[in-house]
Amino acid sequence: MKSKDNATGTRYGMVVDLDKCIGCGVCVVACSSENNVSVLYDESDKTRNISWLKIYRITNGKGFPETEAVYLPRPCMQCDNPPCVPVCPATATRQDPNTGTVSQIYTRCIGCRYCMAACPYHARDFNWYDPSFPNGMDRYLSPEVSPRMRGVVEKCTFCHHRLMRAKAKAYAEGRRDIAQDEYIPACVEACPTKAITFGDLNNPKHEVSALIKSPYSFRLLERLGTEPKVYYLSTKDWVRRMADNYLEGEFIDRP
Amino acid sequence: MELDRRNFIKFVAGGVGGTLLSPLPWKLIDDIAIWTQNWSWVPTPARGKISHIDTVCTLCSGACGITVRKVGDRVVKIEGREDYPVNRGGICPLGMAGQQILYNEGIRWKAPMKRLGPRGSNRWKEISWIEAIDTVSTRIRGVRQSGNPEQVAAIDGNQSRSSVALLIRRLLETVGSPNYLVMPGQEHTSAMVQLLMQGSDGPVALDLENADFVLSFGCGLLDGWGAPGRMMHTWGEWVSRGPKERTFVVQIDPRASDTAMKADLWLAPLPGTEAALALGIAHVLVKEKLYHKEFIEGHSLGFDDWTGQKGITHRGFSSLVLEKYAPRDVENITGVKAELIIRVARKFAAARAPIAVAGRGKGLLPGGLYEHMAVHALNALRGRINKRGGALVAGNLPLSDWPEAERDSAARDGLERTRVDGAGTPHYPFARSLIHRFSESIRTGSPIDTLFICSANPIHTVPDSRGIEEALKAVPFIVSLSPFKDETSLMADMILPDHTHLEKMTDIVWPTGIQYPLYALSRPVVRPIYGTRHSGDVIISLAKKIGGSVARSFPWKNFEEAVKQRAKGLYDAGGGESSPEGSVPVWKRLAKGQSQSKGHSSFQSLWEDIKTSGCWYIPSHSFGRWTEAFQTPSGKFEFYSSAIEAAVKNSSKGGSLDTTLQELGIRARGDEVYMPHYEKPGSGADKGYPLHLLPIELINLASGWIGNPPFLNKTLFDYQLKGSDLFIEMNPKTAAEYGLSEGSRIILRSRRGELRARTHLFDGAMPGVVFIPVGLGHTAYDRYLKGKGANPYEIIERVEDPLSGQPIWWNTRVKVVKI
Repeated sequence: MKSKDNATGTRYGMVVDLDKCIGCGVCVVACSSENNVSVLYDESDKTRNISWLKIYRITNGKGFPETEAVYLPRPCMQCDNPPCVPVCPATATRQDPNTGTVSQIYTRCIGCRYCMAACPYHARDFNWYDPSFPNGMDRYLSPEVSPRMRGVVEKCTFCHHRLMRAKAKAYAEGRRDIAQDEYIPACVEACPTKAITFGDLNNPKHEVSALIKSPYSFRLLERLGTEPKVYYLSTKDWVRRMADNYLEGEFIDRP
Repeated sequence: MELDRRNFIKFVAGGVGGTLLSPLPWKLIDDIAIWTQNWSWVPTPARGKISHIDTVCTLCSGACGITVRKVGDRVVKIEGREDYPVNRGGICPLGMAGQQILYNEGIRWKAPMKRLGPRGSNRWKEISWIEAIDTVSTRIRGVRQSGNPEQVAAIDGNQSRSSVALLIRRLLETVGSPNYLVMPGQEHTSAMVQLLMQGSDGPVALDLENADFVLSFGCGLLDGWGAPGRMMHTWGEWVSRGPKERTFVVQIDPRASDTAMKADLWLAPLPGTEAALALGIAHVLVKEKLYHKEFIEGHSLGFDDWTGQKGITHRGFSSLVLEKYAPRDVENITGVKAELIIRVARKFAAARAPIAVAGRGKGLLPGGLYEHMAVHALNALRGRINKRGGALVAGNLPLSDWPEAERDSAARDGLERTRVDGAGTPHYPFARSLIHRFSESIRTGSPIDTLFICSANPIHTVPDSRGIEEALKAVPFIVSLSPFKDETSLMADMILPDHTHLEKMTDIVWPTGIQYPLYALSRPVVRPIYGTRHSGDVIISLAKKIGGSVARSFPWKNFEEAVKQRAKGLYDAGGGESSPEGSVPVWKRLAKGQSQSKGHSSFQSLWEDIKTSGCWYIPSHSFGRWTEAFQTPSGKFEFYSSAIEAAVKNSSKGGSLDTTLQELGIRARGDEVYMPHYEKPGSGADKGYPLHLLPIELINLASGWIGNPPFLNKTLFDYQLKGSDLFIEMNPKTAAEYGLSEGSRIILRSRRGELRARTHLFDGAMPGVVFIPVGLGHTAYDRYLKGKGANPYEIIERVEDPLSGQPIWWNTRVKVVKI
C-alpha cells in the first residue's frame, strides 16, 4: 500500500524524540514483558537473540571530550510500503489496511526468512531455538500474546492486542473512535522521560500528526521509499545526517 | 495394458498431477507446519481474570509507584503509576523486570536451609522454620550466656529508617551488641555533610523539579541515582519546558555517561578532582561578588576571616578559595579549561533557581566527604538552602516511636564495648558504620560469632569484595535472610529466606532525595509462592524465642503490627495526604502548602488508605526560613564546621594535632581542615600502574544486591558483554598506546588483583582511564548471570576517605597486559 493511498483512514505511527531518549532500556523490558519475548541464556549473541525493540548507540565520531552520543530505539518501522510483505511466500505477514500496521502470523510462517533479508531495518527476529522461560518463569507469561515457536519469524506489532482491547472497550461503550491515549504500545507507555509519542498520523487531533511536521523530524533510510511510520526528532544535525546515506555536501546543516 | 516406458511415464505424470489437484499435499504441508510448531514445550499461558494492583517498588529505596497487572493469580506485567507522587509514571528497567525476580526459581531460596558439606560447596538440607528459628535462637542465647553478646553482628542493606532495619537494630540492641553494620552508600556522605555544615540529621531533600540550573558533580542523574523513576521523569519534565524555561544541566563526569550525553554542558575533570572544580567555581563566585549577600552575611559562619572565642583569628572560606582555587590552578588540577570554569560559575550565579548536587553514579557507594562539602558550599554561596529549587532543610517524618527496648545487664555490658569496625570512635568520629574496617578486624582476629546478613550481598557489591569474603570465612556462624542464592548467602550456614518484594509489605521512610516528607508502603500483590517468611516476622519470632528482655522488647504479633504502630504517628500529626489525585504534581504545590487531606475519622481508616495507595505525604514546605534552619552551634550555615573542630580536638586529646590529622587521613593543615577543600588523593606509587580504574554504573545493569534479571541482559550491548567476556571502555588513543584495538583480550592488574576482559574503544572515555561496568562477574545466581563478565570491586584497593573513613573506590591504579 502506497502512502498516497493512505491520506485518509487510520495510520498508526510513532515519534521518538531522541533529545529526550536517555537509553535506559525500559522500553525494551516493557516490550519483552508485554509480548512474551523469550530470553536466551546468552543474550549477547545478537544474531540469535530476539528483541522487537532494539536500542542503538550512535556517536558523532569526535574525540574526547567533544564526543556526543545519542541513543536510538528501533521498533518495527511499520512501513507504509513494507518490503517484507511482498516477499513472503506463505502470506504470513501482511499490512492491515485499517491501521497500516504490519502483522506477522506465526502459524503460517514457514521460517524462510525472506522477510528478514528484505527488511532494511533489521526489525525482524527469527526463533533459532525453542522459546525459553526456564525455572518457572513461564508463570509470568501473558495470555494476550501467543508465545512463538522455534522456526518462525517474529516482530513488533505495535502491541496489536492493546488495539484489540481498546476496540473492544470502545465497542462495548457504543463508540467507533478510539482516543489518542486509549491505545498505546507498551514501550510508549513505559518511557519514563516521555520521549515516545504514539497516535494516528492522519488524525489532526493526535499529537503525532503535528510532531512529524517538525523541521527536526526524520525517518530512517527514507530514500528507500519504504515510508516508515516511525519518525524521529533530533535537533542535532549529525544525528539526522546519519539516518540516511547522503552524498558529500548534500545534507545541509541547519544553522 | 502393457507397462512400457511410455505408459509408465504417463502413469507417474498422471499420478503427480492428480495428487497435486487433490487437497492432500496441501493438507499435509499444512499439517506438517502445524505439527512442527506445536511442541508440547511451547508454553500456553493460562487465561484468567485480568486485574491491576497498585503498590510500590521496594527493590531500592527510591520507592516508585507501580501497577502490577495480574492474570488470575499470576503477575504478568509491572508498569509505572502515573498518580504516584515520587515517579509519576516513570520506573527503571530493574523495577519493570520485577516478575523475573519473583518467578525465577533458579535464583531463589524456597525454604529454610541448613548447610551440609564445607562452606561454599553449595550443599544444603531443607529444614523446618521451627528448627531454623530454634537453632539460631539457641546460638544467640549461648553467646549471651558466655558474656560476649557483642559477638552477634548484622550487616543490613535495608533502608536505614525502614521498619525491618529498625527491628534488626533493635534485636542487636536487646541482645547487647553494638555491631550493627549498614551497607555503605552516598546517602551517608550527604547526611554527614548536613550534620557538619547545617547541624541537622534530617533526610537529604533536593527540590530538583523546581530548579532551573542543575550542576551535577558526577551524580548519575539519569544513570540510576536517587529514585530512578523520579529522576528520569523529572528529566523529561525539564526538557519539555520549552527552550527558555528549560532546566540547564551541567554534568561533571570523566566519562560520557548517559547523564553527561544528555546534559547541556559536559565537563570532564580528572577522576577524584571534583572538589577542586567546585572550589574553582566558588572562587569565581567570591571574586566576582556573585554570592548571595543576605545569606552569607546573616546566616553563615566562616565566610570572611573571623575571630573566634579565644581571640584566635581564623581564616575565612572566601580567602581560602581566593588564594588556592583560581581557575588557572584548578585547570592544572582537574584538566578542565579555566574559561569553562568561569563560564559555568557565571551561569550558576545568573540562574534563578540553581542547585549543585554531589554524588557518583547511582549513589550506591559513599562519596568523598570534603568533596560533598565543597559542592554544598556552592549552594550556600548562592543562598540556595531551603529555597524553592534548592537543597531543603527537612525534619523527620512524624512516625511514632516504638516503646523503649529493654536492656538487661548482659545487654548493657555488651553495648558498652567498642564496635568491631571502630565507627564513632575518635578515629572515625562521623562514621556510623564501616564495612571495610569490619572485614579487616575480623581478618585480624576480632571475634564475631554469629553474623546476620539481610538484604545485602557484600561479597559482590562492596569495594575490595575479596576482603569481605575472607572475613566471612572466619565467622563461625552466618545467618542469611536473603531470598536469593547470591554470593553472600552461599557462604552462610543457615538460610532464613525472605519473600521477594512483590510478596510482602515493606515501608520506605522518606525515599532517597525526595524534597517533601513521604512515607511509602508496599503491599503483597501475590501470596508467597514458596515457603519463605517475611524477615520482619522472622526477627520478631527469633526475639520471642530468645526470651527474657529480648522477647519483651518485641511485643508485636507480626511485622504488620509493628509497622502499623509506627504509622500511628502519621495520624496523630494530622495534615498529610494519602490518596494522590494525580492532576498537579506534589512539587508544584509545595510553596502553596495546601493540603487536601481527606480528614480521616480514625487511624484505622487512614491505615487502610495508606495500604491501598502506598503513600502518605505532606505536600508543603516553608521555604526560606534561614533563622531556624540550622542547628549548628553557631545557629548558622557553617563553612567552618565546628563539629569537625570538636571532633579533631577530641581525637587529639593528649597528642599532637599533626599526628591526629595524619591518622584521620587529612593532608591539609590549619583552618583548611575544618572547611571544604581539595585533598589530593594519596596515590603514592603510580609506578608500573599507569592507568586509572573507574567502576561505572549503568541504569540497565543492576549493580546492587539484586542480581540483574534476564530481561536486562537484552538491553546490554555486545560491546559491553559478549558471551562471558566483559568489555572495559577505553579511549582509542590510550588503547593505541598499549597496542590494543576493539575487542582485544587483556588482563587488568591492580595491586589488589587482576581480572580478564576485552576492550571497547569509546571516544567518550577519558584518556588514561579504564572504565568498567559494575554488576557482572557473579559467581552465584543462575545461568543468566553466573560466570559472565568480571567484578571490578575485586581489584579495587582499600583506601579510606579522609575524615569520613569510608572506602574510596575511584582511586585505583591499574596496568593493562595484552594476551
